[in-house]
Parts: sequence; C-alpha cells; structure tokens
Amino acid sequence: MRRSHRVVLACAASVALLAPWSSAQAQRTHVLIVAGLSGAPNFKTAFNQAIGSTRIAARERWAVADSNFIALTEDSLSTATSQGQSTKANIAAAFLRMSKRVSAGDVVLVMLFGHGSGEGPGSKVNLPGPDATAAEYASWIAPFTQQQVVFVNAATGSGDFVPVLAKPGRVVITATRTAMERNESEFLGVFTKALSSEEADADKDGRLSVLEAFRYARAEVAKSYERTNRMLTEHAVLSDSIIAGRITFGGKAVSANPRVAALIAERQALESQVAALRVRKATMTAEAYDAELERLLLSIAGKTQAIKAAGGDK
Amino acid sequence: MNRSGVRTGALLTSALTGLMAAASLACAQDQGAARVMPDRWGTEVSAAEASLDRGNRTDAVARARHITAAYQQDGARNSAEHTSAGRAYALLGVGDAEAVRAALRAFDRAVAMDSSNIDAVRRTGALFLEKYNAPEARASYEMALKRAPNDAEALLGLARVEEFEGKGTPMATARRSLTANPRRAETLAYIARLHLDVEAFDSARGYAERAVAADSTEQASWGVLGAIAWITGDSTGYRRALRAATSLQPAPSTFNLALAEAAIRQRRYAEAVQLAQRAVRDDSLSVAAFGVLGTTQLRIGQMQAGRAAVERAFALDPFNVWHKNTLDLLDKMQTFRTVKQGRFEVVAPEDEADLLSLYIVPLLERAFDSLSVRYGYSPPTPVRLEFFRQHADFSVRTVGLNGLGALGVSFGSLLAMDAPNARERGTFNWGSTAWHELTHAFTLGASAHRVPRWLSEGLSVLEERRAAPGWGARASLPWLVAMNTGQVRRISELNDGFLRPRSPMETQNSYFQASMFSEWVELTKGAKALPALLLAYRDGLDTPAAFRKVLALSPEQVDTQFDAWVRQRFAKDLAAAQGMSPTDSSGGRFARVMRTALEMIEARPDSARKLFEEARGLMPEYASDDGPAWYLARIALVQKDTATALAMLQVVTSRDEVAWDANQLEATVREARGDRAGAMAALERMVWIWPYEPSIHVRYAQLATTQGQHTLAVRERRAVVANKPADLLDARYELARALATAGQPTEARRELLQVLEEAPSFEKAQALLLELRQRSGGASR
Repeated sequence: MRRSHRVVLACAASVALLAPWSSAQAQRTHVLIVAGLSGAPNFKTAFNQAIGSTRIAARERWAVADSNFIALTEDSLSTATSQGQSTKANIAAAFLRMSKRVSAGDVVLVMLFGHGSGEGPGSKVNLPGPDATAAEYASWIAPFTQQQVVFVNAATGSGDFVPVLAKPGRVVITATRTAMERNESEFLGVFTKALSSEEADADKDGRLSVLEAFRYARAEVAKSYERTNRMLTEHAVLSDSIIAGRITFGGKAVSANPRVAALIAERQALESQVAALRVRKATMTAEAYDAELERLLLSIAGKTQAIKAAGGDK
Repeated sequence: MNRSGVRTGALLTSALTGLMAAASLACAQDQGAARVMPDRWGTEVSAAEASLDRGNRTDAVARARHITAAYQQDGARNSAEHTSAGRAYALLGVGDAEAVRAALRAFDRAVAMDSSNIDAVRRTGALFLEKYNAPEARASYEMALKRAPNDAEALLGLARVEEFEGKGTPMATARRSLTANPRRAETLAYIARLHLDVEAFDSARGYAERAVAADSTEQASWGVLGAIAWITGDSTGYRRALRAATSLQPAPSTFNLALAEAAIRQRRYAEAVQLAQRAVRDDSLSVAAFGVLGTTQLRIGQMQAGRAAVERAFALDPFNVWHKNTLDLLDKMQTFRTVKQGRFEVVAPEDEADLLSLYIVPLLERAFDSLSVRYGYSPPTPVRLEFFRQHADFSVRTVGLNGLGALGVSFGSLLAMDAPNARERGTFNWGSTAWHELTHAFTLGASAHRVPRWLSEGLSVLEERRAAPGWGARASLPWLVAMNTGQVRRISELNDGFLRPRSPMETQNSYFQASMFSEWVELTKGAKALPALLLAYRDGLDTPAAFRKVLALSPEQVDTQFDAWVRQRFAKDLAAAQGMSPTDSSGGRFARVMRTALEMIEARPDSARKLFEEARGLMPEYASDDGPAWYLARIALVQKDTATALAMLQVVTSRDEVAWDANQLEATVREARGDRAGAMAALERMVWIWPYEPSIHVRYAQLATTQGQHTLAVRERRAVVANKPADLLDARYELARALATAGQPTEARRELLQVLEEAPSFEKAQALLLELRQRSGGASR
C-alpha cells in the first residue's frame, strides 16, 4: 500500500510537469488575423478561406468569443470575413484593443497572411497603404508579457520575422526560413487546416498544441512537394518547440464535479504510468511489456467510461 | 569505396585536350630531319600489342615497360617514337590512370612534333573512347578526317563514337569507312557485329566471312561468326570459329566475351554468365569481362557475386561510367526493403515496400497460377521484383545508364520496373506492367530463353489484356494510321519493329501488332498453339520453321492470313483513320467530326453530342480520355443523364488502363446511384494507376465494409496506413476496427496497443480496446 502511494505521488508530480498550461488554468484565447494585399483573386480566396476556417475553429473548438476574434483584410469595408481594413494604423489599434482585454495566462494568437518583402527588422507583409515592419510588430506585441503569445507569419519571405520577434516565453512561426524564400507558399493553407481539424492532434488528447499544428503543417507541405516532384522551396520555422508544445487550443472544460475531477486525475495518473512504462520498454520482454501496457490502457479506457457516465468530458 | 574516378578522368582529359590543341597550334616545330630517323620502338610496341591480342598480357606489359623506361630516360627523337611510347603507355593503362595520362601526353607530343601524324591523332581518339570520353574522341577523329577525309580508320573510329553516344548513324559511317577501304577487316568485322546486334544473322555472317577472307587474324570477326553459330545451334560453325579464335588467342577470352555479349542480347542470361566466367578465367585483367559477368549476374539475382565482379571491373578501370552507376545504385539499394511473401520477393524503397507489396504480391500470385497453367511451365522461385522510384535508377539497373524508355524489364525470375510514382499519375498502370514482365518470365523460361523478342512482347501484352478489364494495349490512332500507310511490319519481319524501329512509334505499334498476332493464333489454332510455339523455339527452330511446325503455315501465309484478319477486325476504325498520316492526324472524317464537336461542346452541347456519337460510330475502338466516349459522358453528366454517362465512362475505363479521371467519375456516379460494387471496381482500377491517394483507399474501405467485404476493407485500411497519412494514428485505429470486424481480434488488439501506446488519451481507440476485451470474455479493469 505504501509503495503504491509513493508511485501515485511521483506520477502526480510528473503529470504537473507534463500538463499543458491550458488544462491547469481557465485560459482564454484571443485571435488577431491580418491578411495583407492579395494581389490576385486566388490568393484573396485562400486568405478568406483561412480566416473562415480559423474563425470556425476558434468559435466551436476553442470557445473563443466573437469579441476576442479580430480579422483585418485588404477590403476597405467590413465584410463577413473582416472587421476592418488591414492598414498599419488599424493593426496597431487592434493590438491596443486586444491588450485591454487580455488577462494573465491567456493565449494570444496573431496570424499574418500575405506576400512578404524586405529583410531583417525591415521585413514586411504587404498591406494596403504603408507596410508595417517586423520591428513594428515586435513593438506591438511587447506589452503582452503576461500572456502566451503565438505569432504566426504565414506569408512568403517571412523567415526574418523570427529573429526580430522571438523571445523567451513566446512562440514565433514563419512559413519560410528566410526572407529570400519568396515563391508561392503552401504553409498557410495547411497550417489553418491543422488548426481547424482533428488530424493534427497527434496524441489524440483532444487538445491541439501549437507544436502539433506546426509539425503537421511542415510534414504536409513537404509531402505535397514530394508528391509533385518539386524541390521544397519553403522551410517553415518554429522559434521554441518547448513552449509550442505547452500552448494548446481546445480541450474539455475543467469539471466542477468533484467525482469527475477525481476520475480525470486518476486517468492522468494512469497516462503517466504509460509514459513511465514506455521508458522501461527496452528492459522488459515484449510479452511482459504488452501485458502491462494493455492492463494500463484498459484501466484508462475504464476511467474514460466512468468519466462519461458521471457526466464529465462533455 | 570512393568512385570519383570518372570525374577525375574527365578533368584530366579536359586538361589534356587543351594541351593537345595548344600543341597542334605549335606544330611549326616539325623537324624534317627528325622525321626520317627510324622509330626505335615501333617493332617492339607492335609485338607487345600482338602479345596482348594473343592473351599474353605478361609479355605485353614487359615489352611496354621496356619502351616506357627508355622513353622516360632518353626521350623520343621524333613524332613516331612519341606515338610508339603512347601505344606502350596505353598497354599499361589497365587500372593505372597515370599510364593513360602519359599515353595521351605522348600522343600530344607526337602531333606537336609532326602535325601530319594522323596515326597519333587516331590513337588519341581511340584512347579517349576507351575511357568513355566520346566528345574528345569525336574531336580527335574529326581532326584526323579534316586532314584525310577518307581515312578508313578514322571513319571507323567515328562510327564507334556514334554507336557509343547512341546518336548519328554508325552503320552509315562504317560503310563510308568500307568504301574508303573495301578490304579493311576491322571495318568488315565491325559492320558484321552491328548486324549481329539486330539479329540480321545472314548479313552478319556475310560481312564476318569477308573480314576473315581479308585478314583471318582479325579476332572480332571470329567472335561474330562464333556468336552466330552459338545462337543458331550450328555446332560445326561454332567449332570452326573457336578453333580459329584459339589459334589467335590460346585462352580465348575475347571470343568468349563476344559470345557472352551476344547471349545477353538473346536474353540467355544464365549462359551469358557462364561464358563471361570463361572470359574472366582466361583474362583476369579484362575490365569488359568482369563488367559483363557482374552486370549479368546482377540481372539473374546473383547479387553478391555480381557486385563483387563489378567492383573488380571498377577497380581495374575507374573511368567506366556503367560500372560506377551500377555500384552507386547497389549502394542505394541497400536502403531498400525486401518483402518475402509466397513465391515472390518485392524489393522497394523502404517507405514504399509495404504499400506496393500489399497489392502486387496477391496480383502476381494470381498471375503465376494462371500463366503456369497456360504455358505448362513455372519459372524458378522466388521471383524477385524490384521497384525504383527514380526512373533513372531503373534505367541503370537495366542497362547501366540513364535514358531507357521502358517501364519494366524481365530477366527471367528477376523483374525490375518503375515504381508507380516514378512517372506522373495517369501515365502508366503498374499492375499491368508487372503482369507483363512476369509473363516474360514464363515465355522466356518455357522456350529456354529462345523465344524472339517480338513474340515474347506480344504474349505479354495479350496476357495483360486477359488479366483485367482495360489492361493492355488497344488499337491506337498511331497504329491505325501506320496500318493505313503501310508502316506496320509484317509478322515475319516484326522482330525488326523492336530491334530496328524506324521511328519511336514503331516500337509501340509493334507491341500491339505482336499481341494481335498472338490473339489470332489462339483464335485460329487453339489455346495450345501459343505454348507449342514456345516449345518449337526451345527445340532450336527458327521462326519460319516454328510457323510451319505449329501453325502449318509458311511465313508468307502467316503474313497474308493475319493481315486479312486484323484488317477485317478493325475495318471500321481503319476506315475512319483514312486521311490521317503519321505526321498529321488532322485529316479524315473522324478527325473532322471530333474537331467540330469540340468546337461546339460549350455553346451547343446537344449538337456536339450528336457529332461525338457519330465519331464513336466511326471509330468504336478509340476510347482514350480524349475520345468521343469521354466527351459524351461529360455532356450526359451535365444533362443529369447518369445512365448514359455511366455507359460512356465504362467505354473509357474498360479500354484505357490509365484513365484516372474517368474511373474517379465512374466511382462517384455509381456510388451516387447506389451501385457500390461498381464503384468499388472503379476504385480498384484507380489503385493500379496510382496507389498513393489515401482518400481513395478510405473510400474503398468504407464501401467494402458496407458490402461486407471485410478482408478487402482491411487491405484498403492497410494501404491508408502504408501511405503515411497526416493523421496516422486515426488511420491505424481504423485499421484496427477493420481487423476486428473482419474477425481478426488478435491483430486488431496488437494494432490498438501500438496506437494507444502513442496516444493513451485516444478515446475511440480506448473504446475499441474495451470492446475487444469484452468480446473475448475478459472483464474490463
């Protein structure tokens, strides 16, 4: 009995370490999307589709309130897709507005779509009117020190945003490795698909981490080039995979029912035991490993059933 | 092993070419007095070359070393001595790149000292060609011909360069050489060998005999005569050639090598290996013999021995690009995976082996059973099938160089082919290609590798057509045009359609023509006639004799009767193709009707439909995805007439083995109409065009499940997993579900454990695991 107690404690500690921030806190997510000049109807369609699918995912999967979702596009009038034109002034105002709504621990997701130009701190995404530089975006997100900021520049030639914007505790993703990778990019479509479907949830825990979305997008872009026998001309970059693994979207709400909460904790402990078992795999016979794995997995499955029966996991 | 020899060689020869050009400009150094001084080494180097010809390499090397030592110590007194020194260095060039460089330097000096020394220029060309540098060889021969336009030896050298490069007309150039000197034995032997290569045995024999008459010590001519005798089973002729060759070279490595090369062209690979082994035994420093031995061993699956022989050849001659390519490919193939299943071994790139073997092994097992009954013969097993994702790799595997146009090849029980993704989707059918190549294993084996190429190809295409609806070549527009314009060979000459095609299209037409001949034989003489033809070839009969014995017809009768039959069979299509020519398919009624229909398809679809129907009536066999049936299907779909659309789509998909779009459309329409079985048949055809589309496999699996075809559903779920989709864990969960439904709970459980090991929170998988446990009577914990 004592021995088993120690194990549970140890596992609980590891669960705390492994658990993403989202499950530990009642975080909210805020989204700002800036779609720059499209230049051609097919790009405009692609940008609008990306905004639309992200909006649906935000609303339906991540429980983001409409008031916390801002999309700016090249259109001068507000549309179903857009709350305003993506001018430099409007972008600055949107950041300011968002800074007044966020709480500590919230997730702030900023996404830029469009065509990139310039280099280094002067890297830009082409906008109606004057373009904003990477350095200006850095200044706009600087106040979000208590939030988990995910800044995605899915434009072509976006690579130089990483050194300008990256800093500890923040995740920066770009569609390309450098400002020189300016060919038409596939990253945007695949990354927004990752955000809006279950496919990218690699560990099937019902939450999508930024790392999972990034890995999915990078792999799918590479496959697309390989399928069509083209040389890969875009190499997406992620600034911090540790933080990206911790920031998640979606997931089930924390239950107020103590019975459900206890069952969830027990299930998490069992999941941790699976992780610990995997570490020991090389030291065990295949039969012993499989037997123990199956025992744990069946226990986890049993807990899931019990959680559902108790009205949890909804 | 570092195989950078070719690059090094190219740099070297490039540098030396510059030197040579500079030397040519500086030819003002001609020294009249030096020219008249005797060549101290001319006799000796000729003796050394003669020793080498006799196979006495030791003596040749000793004499050559003596000359090069004197050359290094005293230098040459005139251009002729530089030439002799170059010849001596060339003799020492086996495995010694420095000797080759020294030879080229000596020839350059010879030319620099005497610009009229054409012999040195020609020898430079020969040495460049020997080291596979065709552009420099060509430059040397052209330089020689500038000075002496009718120089027979330079013209022959140029012919060899053209043959090496695969462009130009080596036969025509060799004939110019012969015109310049009609009794030049080397030229006659060369022309004889060109004829031998295309199986024109009578012509080959004629030229070889003329060569022997001109100079009976010309070894190449005895090689040709020996090869002809060996191929045709003429033991007297063979003994005569061997006797003569042995008198010239007591250990007749050159002779056996010539026979080995001829055996390869006859696709008698096992015998070629034996002959090459004799050549190697007789000359352990012969690069060509080791190369032929190694590459042929690799073709019959003797992978380790073959690699060792090619390694040996490459060690002796690091300039050889064929051997370098082959060794590089073998290195690459070490990353491939071999799937051994039943009577087959599938060798494929690691990430494709599961997917391809999932489909190809059951298909080939079915083919094996069917063909072994039909031909009364079974090839040795396991049959090895290699897939290559890069067409260039397949080409190197087959001929050592890039550039082969074929999709697949059969060396007997070793087959090699492009992987489906080596080419664009919709350009070939990998199932029919594999079936085609496996058929060769049967027809080659049943005839002891003596079936001529044309019949072997014809039978393979016929078997493709039998294997699955839509597979195999059909009457194409180019074939119809060729028939109408007299461009298709008669059956008795059909081998030339493969070996001496007058145009690239002629080869394609010859495949179809040969397949129709096979069909005709079966129709008129019964199913046993085709295997009987193979047995006749096995027993040493040639084509006329085989026709007489099995078909009871002379070649002329075959030609006449077949031609009448095939023209009647395709009478409508042939009439519709009247007015078209091989270079202009816009003529004739069919083309006119199609053109008009296409012009009005958008604005006046009803009028277009009538014209497409007329075109279809004119040429009912033409069913490609640019034919009338395809357009009729599309018009019908727009007009919501799915019954007509399906009928027309079926016309396309039952005749065109690569009709991806038509099959996709057919699957969709059939599914919408509730014809799940029909939709599945269309999806099955798509898989053989392009197996890399996970959505197609998912759809197929879902349909199979609803139809209760659970084994098929499992195969399709495995295909989804093998395609490594974005959501791999979900795909594996679906596989586990399919396995459970198919009554394979143990496999399902194993799959689920692996999925949940990666993702313990995966609720669908948890539920299935619990369900399996409950089904098996165990309590959930």
